[in-house]
Amino acid sequence: MKLLRALSFCLFVCAASAFEIDDVLDRLDNSLTIAAFQDNLRARLSGTIDVELYHFQQPAPGLIDSNIDNLFNPRLTFFLDAQFGPHVYFFAQSRLDRGFDPSDHGAQIRLDQYALRVTPWEDGRFTLQVGKFATVVGNWVTRNLSWENPFVNAPLVYENVTPIQDKSAPASPLDFVHRFNNEKYEFSPVIWGPSYTSGISVSGRLGKFDYAAEIKNSSLSSRPESWDVTAVGFDHPTFDAHLGFRPNQMWNFGLSAGDGAYFRPEAEHTLPRGRDIGDYREFVLGQDVSFAWHHLQLWAEFYEARFEIPRVGDADTFAYYFEVKYKFTPQFFAALRWNQQLFDTVPDGAGGRVRWGDDLGRVDAAIAYRFTTHAQLKVQYSFQQETTGPRDDNHMLAAQFTVRF
Amino acid sequence: MRLPGLVWFNLVFVLLSISVLADSVLEGRVELPKSHSAPVMAKRYEIVTHSGVLSTQPPLAVVYLDGSFPKQTSPPTKQIVQKDLTFIPSLLPVQVGTRVEFPNLDDTYHSIFSYSPAKRFDLGRYRPEERPIPSEIFDKAGLVALRCDIHEHMRGLILVLNTPHFAMTDGEGRFRLRGLPSGHYTLKAWIDSKTTHEQLVELKRGETVRVDFP
Repeated sequence: MKLLRALSFCLFVCAASAFEIDDVLDRLDNSLTIAAFQDNLRARLSGTIDVELYHFQQPAPGLIDSNIDNLFNPRLTFFLDAQFGPHVYFFAQSRLDRGFDPSDHGAQIRLDQYALRVTPWEDGRFTLQVGKFATVVGNWVTRNLSWENPFVNAPLVYENVTPIQDKSAPASPLDFVHRFNNEKYEFSPVIWGPSYTSGISVSGRLGKFDYAAEIKNSSLSSRPESWDVTAVGFDHPTFDAHLGFRPNQMWNFGLSAGDGAYFRPEAEHTLPRGRDIGDYREFVLGQDVSFAWHHLQLWAEFYEARFEIPRVGDADTFAYYFEVKYKFTPQFFAALRWNQQLFDTVPDGAGGRVRWGDDLGRVDAAIAYRFTTHAQLKVQYSFQQETTGPRDDNHMLAAQFTVRF
Repeated sequence: MRLPGLVWFNLVFVLLSISVLADSVLEGRVELPKSHSAPVMAKRYEIVTHSGVLSTQPPLAVVYLDGSFPKQTSPPTKQIVQKDLTFIPSLLPVQVGTRVEFPNLDDTYHSIFSYSPAKRFDLGRYRPEERPIPSEIFDKAGLVALRCDIHEHMRGLILVLNTPHFAMTDGEGRFRLRGLPSGHYTLKAWIDSKTTHEQLVELKRGETVRVDFP
């Protein structure tokens, strides 16, 4: 009750003084933008403050790493954008929070992204980028940050932990399927969030088509601890690509593909004799579509993934989601998302086959209100149900208050 | 028959000239603030980007005569275009009741909105060929801050005024207001959301008055 009163008071104060705060933040924005050498060097420091509250059932859904049902997850994010003349751009993103994914751990600070981008031609036909940055696969990455994302969490395919383990190989097919129950955060989703891995990319637009390809140090399913270039080295690079078709501004269609070794170096000694990390790969094929017109936005992505599992064989999964956002008034919008992930079977080692994960569906519903151009509140409810296996349910309620500066 | 026609023409011409000459003129200079830092576009999550830099628009001021004036029945329609990911002009003074159109001249979506108390609106995402051109009528005096929901760096201002007598300064801060009625008024120079200078002026028929704002 006290928490509710405090929250109500905060909302009242925010609404009452919104425009004063907005003006102050606009001035802060101006003072955090600098230019030198006759405007040939321009830099802007900006950021977001996120305060997240979660209430969920155990085990915690998605990539949330918490043994308690209520989680308070604050986050401070800084962005640096710098333009050197017309052709060179640099950006960096750093965060202070309780972990890359919501968790009950102590505070940590990370450099999530940094990259140097060179665009030699004005029409954008070719861009070269080097650094640690989000994957080119799919269409969710462009709205993964709290201000742009209509929801508090990510679509299921980016956060639903599967029995894939990147730190050790399973001893047998049954070990692969059954060891999943313990220590959920030791396992991996098909794509881990925006996948800020390190490497180099090329991209560009040719007429109504756009292309992007990247060579990164870690696979799409790799955990944040593997994303730094010094973490796992470049011995087993991942190759990802995206081809887009934009018939007009309303529609975007895309095809994605990814291929890379998904084990971390410490898994080497658990692999079958004579095999190495590069022999076990994650293949991902993706299709994405988006539509936008006036106050309506739609997105959908479909992913088919295959993991080569030592001592088991190929483990296939299919995941997709449909997402819709509609702005009812200039400051109020709502969003709805339907997610599903289906798992194939793998040999059980005794002549039969066993499903390697429990199929599940999840519906996410969110409403959001923008108090000003700098402050936003989102409230989300999610219901997740396993449609095979123990058929467990999970309800999650989440709220996220964001101040952008 | 030709002579009376010529007389009438000359009479009308003389009367018109007198009435124009009878109106007062205000001119002067406003001390403009320093230029803002050049904007930087965030391209962190954009797969396809163009090279080039955003243009920098120098700070300008709006000078207007405050007072009670007869309302124009339908002020002319104005435009703020979105071109090269910038609002042009970035500052537009209009009279209350003016319709402002927002044509999109870029090869990408824009989504203009304002949460300002003087005008709250959201045009949503629309294409360059959208017809009729999305527009809004600004029917309440005040400052309207424009943003684009897609391109965070885009900023624009519409200053909605209760007077038909206003002018933008040039880059040097010089202004000139013509066709003003005689009388006692307050002349205001709007610099930014926190700064408006003002001076009392007395306008007499046919006179040119000079006012400088420090």
